[in-house]
Amino acid sequence: MTTTQSKVHTQGVWRFFSSVKLTFVLLVILAVVSILGTLIPQMPQRESVEFAQRLSPGTFQLFSLLNLFDMYHSVWFRLLMGLLALNLIICSLDRFPATWKRFSAAPRADRNKPFQGLSSDRSFFISESTKVGASRVAHFLADTYKKVARVDAADSAYFFGEKGRYAHFGVYIVHLSVLIILVGGLVGSFFGFEAFVQILEGEKVSTAFIRNKRIPFDLGFEVRCDKFFVDFYESGAPKEFRSDLTFLLNGRAVKTASVRVNHPVEFEGLTFHQSTYESVPGQRIHLKISTKPGHAEKINLVVEQGKPVQLPGGEGHFQVAEMRMMGPAPAALISIQPGQGKETRFWIFKDYETVKQRLPPEMLRSPKFNPAAFEPYRFYLDGVETGYATGLQVSRDPGVPIVWIGCFLMIGGFFVTFFMSHRRIWVRVSSDGSGSRISVAGTTSKNPVGLERELGQLTADLKARSHGTEQKA
Amino acid sequence: MINTIILSYITFGYFGAFLFYLLLMFMGRTVFGRIATFVAMSSLAAHSFAVILRWVESYRLGMGQPPFSNLYESLIFFAWTISFLYLIVEWRTKNKTAGAFVLPLAFLAMAYASFSPNITSRIQPLIPALQSNWLITHVITCFFAYAAFGLSFGFSIMYFLKRLDTQTSHSNFLKRIPRAVILDDLNYQMVAIGFLMLTLGIITGSVWASNAWGRYWGWDPKETWSLITWLVYAAVLHSRMVRGWSGKTIALMSIIGFFCVLITYFGVNYLAGLHSYATS
Repeated sequence: MTTTQSKVHTQGVWRFFSSVKLTFVLLVILAVVSILGTLIPQMPQRESVEFAQRLSPGTFQLFSLLNLFDMYHSVWFRLLMGLLALNLIICSLDRFPATWKRFSAAPRADRNKPFQGLSSDRSFFISESTKVGASRVAHFLADTYKKVARVDAADSAYFFGEKGRYAHFGVYIVHLSVLIILVGGLVGSFFGFEAFVQILEGEKVSTAFIRNKRIPFDLGFEVRCDKFFVDFYESGAPKEFRSDLTFLLNGRAVKTASVRVNHPVEFEGLTFHQSTYESVPGQRIHLKISTKPGHAEKINLVVEQGKPVQLPGGEGHFQVAEMRMMGPAPAALISIQPGQGKETRFWIFKDYETVKQRLPPEMLRSPKFNPAAFEPYRFYLDGVETGYATGLQVSRDPGVPIVWIGCFLMIGGFFVTFFMSHRRIWVRVSSDGSGSRISVAGTTSKNPVGLERELGQLTADLKARSHGTEQKA
Repeated sequence: MINTIILSYITFGYFGAFLFYLLLMFMGRTVFGRIATFVAMSSLAAHSFAVILRWVESYRLGMGQPPFSNLYESLIFFAWTISFLYLIVEWRTKNKTAGAFVLPLAFLAMAYASFSPNITSRIQPLIPALQSNWLITHVITCFFAYAAFGLSFGFSIMYFLKRLDTQTSHSNFLKRIPRAVILDDLNYQMVAIGFLMLTLGIITGSVWASNAWGRYWGWDPKETWSLITWLVYAAVLHSRMVRGWSGKTIALMSIIGFFCVLITYFGVNYLAGLHSYATS
């Protein structure tokens, strides 16, 4: 390939990427393909697997090949975003010199072109000389515009003022902000991670699992869940989830904090978010024991599963050997080991009355379900304390501050782009018969309606001043 | 509750205002325009009153939360933003012709909220994910965006109707619609305001998501659809830069954009995701 050929090619490529039509097309393509990912459940949702299982093998293969189950992270989707970024950069570079020219250009004040075809209500007559008129106009404009250029000709004076030159850069600010946000996203995907830990109340962990990959990740410290709280409204809707955590460095507690939804906690550069919870049967079991005759007096006991406890009368030991849900009710397997003789085992239920209605009577008559199988005692199950395991998201994303900077910049850029415009104003004072005529004209980079309003106001103000002084004179 | 009763009557207020705007378009008598504006403004005033009443009521119930927390309340607020923004535009442009095209949106939102059997009008306490200071800013910015896009939709419909108004047509209705250039300009302004607001809505949503879920962007269907909407309106804004792409492209894209808004708002409830609390 010769240099001229390659130059032609580069020019062609440049022209292709500097077109706004391409921007339009890429935006529409990105919008359309993004729809796909909202119709096909994306990994790691459970629905994604269910959806994939319903597909025919051929379709499934095609979808997998195109990465449609995780399309927003696929190469082709990122490529599209990359193309948009490239288009945006080249478009901006391509147009910047012209913008700079418009920004830095200083038009002459004594131009007559802006006044061509001026409507009659943009000029008015004063009975004074051009000189007097011009000095008044100069005074007035100096208050309204920062820098006013003035050119005096034989019978006339010209003024030029402008506002909002920086408005030309609004679009560049917005484009830069898009790039910054994309960079923030990339930084996050390269140097950040999302992991998950589940901690039982009272226990501690030092390893999290990277989401979707199940790769263990060493936190470098320990986290203990001291307590998990869940609170519900009367309607049954959740009201609050809260994990009380203690962070330990080298076995020493250095920080305690409560993590709630919307109130994450940070430790050693990692952020902990309340994500899920699970209720697990707790270890502590509430029992009542009564003795014959009459079973009138009951002793309350709190025991831990698997730990032998002495019987109130000292005949031996008993323990809760097993906890289980039987139908709707929790059940405990009581195992009694007297000082001498054989072990006795039987199940007791919480809420015995409902159990009686649900389970077959023959079954309940069996000694295995007799709460008074060991004379002279009778056992009652009052309840099991529920324990919880809290599910926390552990994440680090160094891209986040970059993204927020981009967001701020974008909003600022929008204000400049949408609400500011570069307005140039010309005022001409020329002799007209016995007096002189003041004409007002202008151009704007956008929002012509706004310019018209400003010119109208300017004309009215100048008129009021002129006629005001005239009447006094 | 009294606020829901007032709100259900306001539905008819907006419908009445719409009818008067329609009469103005067909008959051209200015008195209809004045009545229409009066009815719309009174409805908006009563609407605001009812929303504040509902807010106060939530404090009385011991919840004390802004009235933006379920589908009913969001529809009520959607209608409010539309009529509010419309009346501002009417006042700024001194033109009442858009009322017949925009107020039906407010009326429909109110009617859907008040009379759909699937939507509960009760004040429900906030689930943990919604207990955030970002709720107010996120909802307000999003709904102002939706409203601005709703107005842009109205102007786009008017734009296409105006194209039917040729030299030979004798429809006074069409004659009263402003010139295509003006509609195009108004449309652009609405898209610009909506785009700014949508961007703010997405950003506030991201900050909130980052607090609540630990990531600022997660390709949840609602997030994705808000991005799709954003991309479509970005395309609308850029299409004005392409020489020769007249107002027609922009009007068409604005209509497509508003459908994206509707999917972002309603359709997403039928797709799996984290935003499901907005379903009932």
